[in-house]
Amino acid sequence: MTSLPLAAGPGSIDRLDAIARGEATARDWLEQCLSRIDATDDAINAFTARTLARARAEADAVDAMRATGIALPPLAGLPYAVKNLFDIQGEITLAGSRINRDHVAAMADAVLVQRMRAAGAVLVGALNMDEYAYGFTTENSHYGPTRNPHDTSRIAGGSSGGSGATVAAGQVPVSLGSDTNGSIRVPASLCGIWGLKPTFGRLSRRGTFPFVHSIDHLGPFAESASLLARVYDALQFPDNEDPGCHARAVHAVRPTLGLATQGLRIGILGGYFDAYATAPARAAVQAAAQALGATRIVQWPDAMLARAAAFIITAAEGGSLHLPELRRRADDFEPLSVDRFIAGALQPAHWVTRAHRFRRRYREQVLELFQDWDLLLAPATPVAAPPIGTEWLDINGTSHPCRPAMGLLTQPISFAGCPVAVAPMWPDAAGGMPIGVQLIAAPWREDIALRAAVALERAGVACTRHPQLQEGS
Amino acid sequence: MNEEVSLAYVQASAALLDLPLDEAQAARVAAYLARTADMARMLDEAPLDVADEPVALYCPATFPESLP
Repeated sequence: MTSLPLAAGPGSIDRLDAIARGEATARDWLEQCLSRIDATDDAINAFTARTLARARAEADAVDAMRATGIALPPLAGLPYAVKNLFDIQGEITLAGSRINRDHVAAMADAVLVQRMRAAGAVLVGALNMDEYAYGFTTENSHYGPTRNPHDTSRIAGGSSGGSGATVAAGQVPVSLGSDTNGSIRVPASLCGIWGLKPTFGRLSRRGTFPFVHSIDHLGPFAESASLLARVYDALQFPDNEDPGCHARAVHAVRPTLGLATQGLRIGILGGYFDAYATAPARAAVQAAAQALGATRIVQWPDAMLARAAAFIITAAEGGSLHLPELRRRADDFEPLSVDRFIAGALQPAHWVTRAHRFRRRYREQVLELFQDWDLLLAPATPVAAPPIGTEWLDINGTSHPCRPAMGLLTQPISFAGCPVAVAPMWPDAAGGMPIGVQLIAAPWREDIALRAAVALERAGVACTRHPQLQEGS
Repeated sequence: MNEEVSLAYVQASAALLDLPLDEAQAARVAAYLARTADMARMLDEAPLDVADEPVALYCPATFPESLP
């Protein structure tokens, strides 16, 4: 077996700049990615489809544009892939399911794929996920589990597990995913890469297969914080046709990144977020806090209730969305989630209504907290990646069902709609595995979360580490 | 919610929604619903009053900048 060179590695910003100067080609970069995917994906199982003809056409178009001397768009030549709930023209949008194989192919790209294309990025393929995004582990029974590149016996997290694993494995430097209750932040944490869940309503969701209309977010993963910010800026687009897209202007973050964390009031979430964190997760937060000069412990309001309300709304909307297929062909659903979908469809209206009413009060409490703080830190997951198939998890002496427990620390934050960047940390106590730290800002302040992310990266405190995958491993 | 109540609720509400469930699946669904009931109970104890409306309400049309 031979050790494989990385197709994506620290330095993708340099590669983008080299392509822009005409010193490197998009086609070369793409072919390196495709070789890496060919050699490693049997072990990782990140991809469910590869869009080779399209990728080569997009890369060649970038190189042709450069040859004419036209200035290139900001992501020209950047290879990326998307969770398979994003529409890709000419491909069936599986959303991790067997059922959707019966759907017709998408007529057009999702809005965010259109944005990436307009920015010059090169789409390589579609990525594995939990069926219909209802899970935190990507142990997909139809397409197989996605494996953690740092230890292939462990989960990659979910539901955007393929999106996390492909960047961690160095197959592509960027991917897109979705996050309803933690589905970007959990895989970013367990795979040791950067992720961004923007404010609810920031990015258009049009052209993606929904899970929970009132909580669904989309966002990017990247191998570096700087690249994450650059991609996020390219994705911004006020979209009047998505009723969940509240943004009415683009707030570019790239010009603000040099400010680092100067003048920011930074706190550490205690209480609930400490109680459900194991020692390695606490160590990750402590290291980030030390680098950012944060010492004060802050209490997030009603985190337990927020998780309960998010849980109920998720189950109700998800169950209702899939009720027609649950009636006709429940046996074709993912065995790990079908019973939860059905239970959700049957919930009493009172539970759901109360959860929505609670959310209003909760929002006011969260906004009040951000009167005193600019940035709050918390672990992204209670633990590092557990082995595939783990049913129960011990968190500080209490046993929890493993799959839902992976979202314990993310659910309350997304329910408030706050933007969160995940910084990949490598605490000694995690035995060589990563755990992410959530950098949480007030709604619409992605700039603050990303400034902190770039500061941690420049301080050398948070980083990606690509594993030395072996051919045929 | 005890198991018996949960199971009876699942069977009745599934019938109302034309959702066929065999006995084993009904029992599994009832177990999930019982766990959710514990969460719903916590929310029932949260202090909400009649003026606490849901966070987002239906909007019939974009509010006009000015009336014609």
